[in-house]
Amino acid sequence: MLHYIVRRILLLLPVLLGLSMMVFAIGRLLPGDPVLLAAGPNATKEEVAALAVEFGLDKPVAVQYWNYLTGLLHGDWGRSLQSRGPVLEDLKVFLPATLELVLAAMLIAVVFGILLGLLAAVKRNGWIDYSVRLVSLASISMPRFFLGLLLQLVFAMWLGWASLGGRFPLIASPPPLVTGMLTIDSLLAGDLPSFLLALQYLALPAMAMSLSPLATITRMMRASTMEVLQQDYMLTARALGIPPGKLLRKYVLRNALTSTLTVIGLYFGWLLGGTVLVESVFDWPGIGLYATKAIMMQDFMPIMGVVLTIGTLFVTFNLLIDLLYGVINPKVRLG
Amino acid sequence: MERRSILKGAAGSAVIASTLGLPAIAQAQGRKILVIAAGQDIPNFDPHVATGYSASMLHRNTYDGLVRVVGAPPKVVPHLASSWTISPNGLEYVFKLNTAAKFHDGTPVTAHAVAYSFKRTLRLGKGNAWMIAGVVDPNGIEAVDVQTVRFKLLKPFAPFLSVLPWQFIVNPVLVETNKGSDDGQEFLRKNIAGSGRFKIKRAEAGNLYEFERVASPWLAGGNLDGAIWKIVRETSSQRLMVARGEVHFAVDLTSEDMDSLKDNPAVVRVLEPEFRTFSIKMNTAHGPLADINVRKAISHVFNYQGMLDAAGYAQLMVGPLPPGLMNDPKLKVPRTDLEMAKRYLAKSKYPNGGIKLTMVYVTGLEQQRRWSLVLLDSLKKLGIELEIKPTLWPDMVASTKTPQTTADFFPVYQTGNYADPDNVAFASYHSSRNGNWQNPVYNNPKVDALINKGRGEIDPKKRAAIYAELQQVLVDDAPDIFGVLEKRRLAYRKDVQNFVFTPVASNAIELQNLSLK
Repeated sequence: MLHYIVRRILLLLPVLLGLSMMVFAIGRLLPGDPVLLAAGPNATKEEVAALAVEFGLDKPVAVQYWNYLTGLLHGDWGRSLQSRGPVLEDLKVFLPATLELVLAAMLIAVVFGILLGLLAAVKRNGWIDYSVRLVSLASISMPRFFLGLLLQLVFAMWLGWASLGGRFPLIASPPPLVTGMLTIDSLLAGDLPSFLLALQYLALPAMAMSLSPLATITRMMRASTMEVLQQDYMLTARALGIPPGKLLRKYVLRNALTSTLTVIGLYFGWLLGGTVLVESVFDWPGIGLYATKAIMMQDFMPIMGVVLTIGTLFVTFNLLIDLLYGVINPKVRLG
Repeated sequence: MERRSILKGAAGSAVIASTLGLPAIAQAQGRKILVIAAGQDIPNFDPHVATGYSASMLHRNTYDGLVRVVGAPPKVVPHLASSWTISPNGLEYVFKLNTAAKFHDGTPVTAHAVAYSFKRTLRLGKGNAWMIAGVVDPNGIEAVDVQTVRFKLLKPFAPFLSVLPWQFIVNPVLVETNKGSDDGQEFLRKNIAGSGRFKIKRAEAGNLYEFERVASPWLAGGNLDGAIWKIVRETSSQRLMVARGEVHFAVDLTSEDMDSLKDNPAVVRVLEPEFRTFSIKMNTAHGPLADINVRKAISHVFNYQGMLDAAGYAQLMVGPLPPGLMNDPKLKVPRTDLEMAKRYLAKSKYPNGGIKLTMVYVTGLEQQRRWSLVLLDSLKKLGIELEIKPTLWPDMVASTKTPQTTADFFPVYQTGNYADPDNVAFASYHSSRNGNWQNPVYNNPKVDALINKGRGEIDPKKRAAIYAELQQVLVDDAPDIFGVLEKRRLAYRKDVQNFVFTPVASNAIELQNLSLK
């Protein structure tokens, strides 16, 4: 097992190295002149050149790449040309916000997706099944930002239950910073009012994000549950008189979960990379908006930082999922 | 700890209150906190490095300059400097500092601090350094005594007082203590070393910046205890928030937003002309538009009324310089006249048109797209085809490096950075700006000479005559289709008092005298 984990982590290195090389190359191949842009319209040619030297952009691309890699090893993720600040510092601010959003969305999607999927399969071809299928089909088809706008309209504008955007009330002090995720930080501080406030702000964007994975998980879960229900061992189990509740928990859920896990793993990465629209609609200060701004200004280092972070998280999360297979289904042997 | 839990209780009840439809800014509970919704983040606080309207807002409220700019038309008024004298040849400025002025740590703002700040600006060559680089002699800045500072200029520079509101004074002791290897840039990026009425209480990148009034500001002002610069990226969200009373100010609104706020009795709309011009620059150095007759023909065939109609709240430019900045009222600019256009075209190499030109515009800027279409439509009348290319801003900037890569038509918003005709004239038409987007290619030695003469002349009458001549030369040479001045579109709640619009940096709200009811 340990062997397997170590091997997978070692395999991660060439993946990230390749990824960084690709993004670095694409960044440098694009037309445009980020230094001229960052120096501003009134900078003299000398000032523009000085800025390029300050950021090491006067050197050949290969040297720049090497410097970047060696910098990474020392915890230096480079600096943003626009803000002139270290990228790592920005990531520490923006990543937790996005992670909180993605994790909340995944939590909603997993809990409700599995429950609804199970329910639909057990009550196959009943009204529950039909309505679940209809809703999940509609959810998959609906763009996230549009759903976000709808939620805003209903819950913020008409009902006034939620705020239009943001993470926390403007004038209240947020809980002491530990993880950067406000819900978790407020719980760590034992501060229930803050937790509820943070949750209130998180609810709408998390719902907007969760619908698409929720629908997919529901459909996956429904299909695999139906498959499991038709297996011979289910017949045996039923014949043995095992109570239906236990049957569901012990035999159906575990067996049906394996394929759903794969979807969860993939969706995690998909959500991480695709938060930007929801972040824009809800003014959620996360990594998606940060990356978009960097891309618009061809600010290389933040782009590199975001890609590597998302890449690492994605691969790590999928590794965790792979390990979970073994836990849920002992038939899957790792090693 | 106690105050925080009270605040939280207040915020919690405000959430419930907002459920009942009460405005969320009632949260402040006795504390006067002004909330501004704006689209731009403030990633760097250094007054000698950072630029942009959000940074300007932070600087003018946490730091001080020797003077301030107020009102419309903008006037320079004393601030850190209580008075000044200018030598008759315009080469020496002596400022007497206000002895009351204090940095946030309680130490006085001295002449040494002023000299230190200007030298640091020139040393770094970033931010607003361009306004004084080549003008102020770095070795000629001298603290005569604690209260007196003298500047020697390399050449007379008439707009000197106008650029001073944007040169901020830092606390030298604090910067020197945290100098590091980069002249304190790392320190000032996240810390304030100023003397302004406010300091930063909370900074959440990409989300909000909270300002708190310093315990005893050295200058009297409005009743604000603090302010919040809240980043709201969508203009429609800004509009909703100001309409619902969730913020007091919205600073980036569209014409459509302004229309929908028209009937809201709780909101004051500000629609004022400012020194921000929009022109379509022509490639005077490469391609068919290098021919002055083609340019003049285009200047006369362009549908100005169509442009204005597509612009929302705006007015047509009546010359290269915006009104209020020595714009010459007698100047006659081209207006749509097909006969005249055809006559000019007949004198060119392309008497019957038959050429294809390109225009770039910034991807996503709807207004520029509409104006491109107005141009396309106008050019058809001369048998000229137009290819319109939406282009990403970084690519557009990069394309201006050489005349060959610059498009035939290049649209430019020119923001007024300081209240002086030199600002727009120099940035838009001086050949030293070639190879960058404000003036990619236009190079006319006569224009350069007039601009240089204009910045060096300190007699206002003679200056006005120079700028009148400059504008006539520019109109005759037709380097641009002189476009529109879009009005600044701001909105604020009625309970904000003492707001005075000024056409320079108008969305970098100055908190100094503002009050809340």
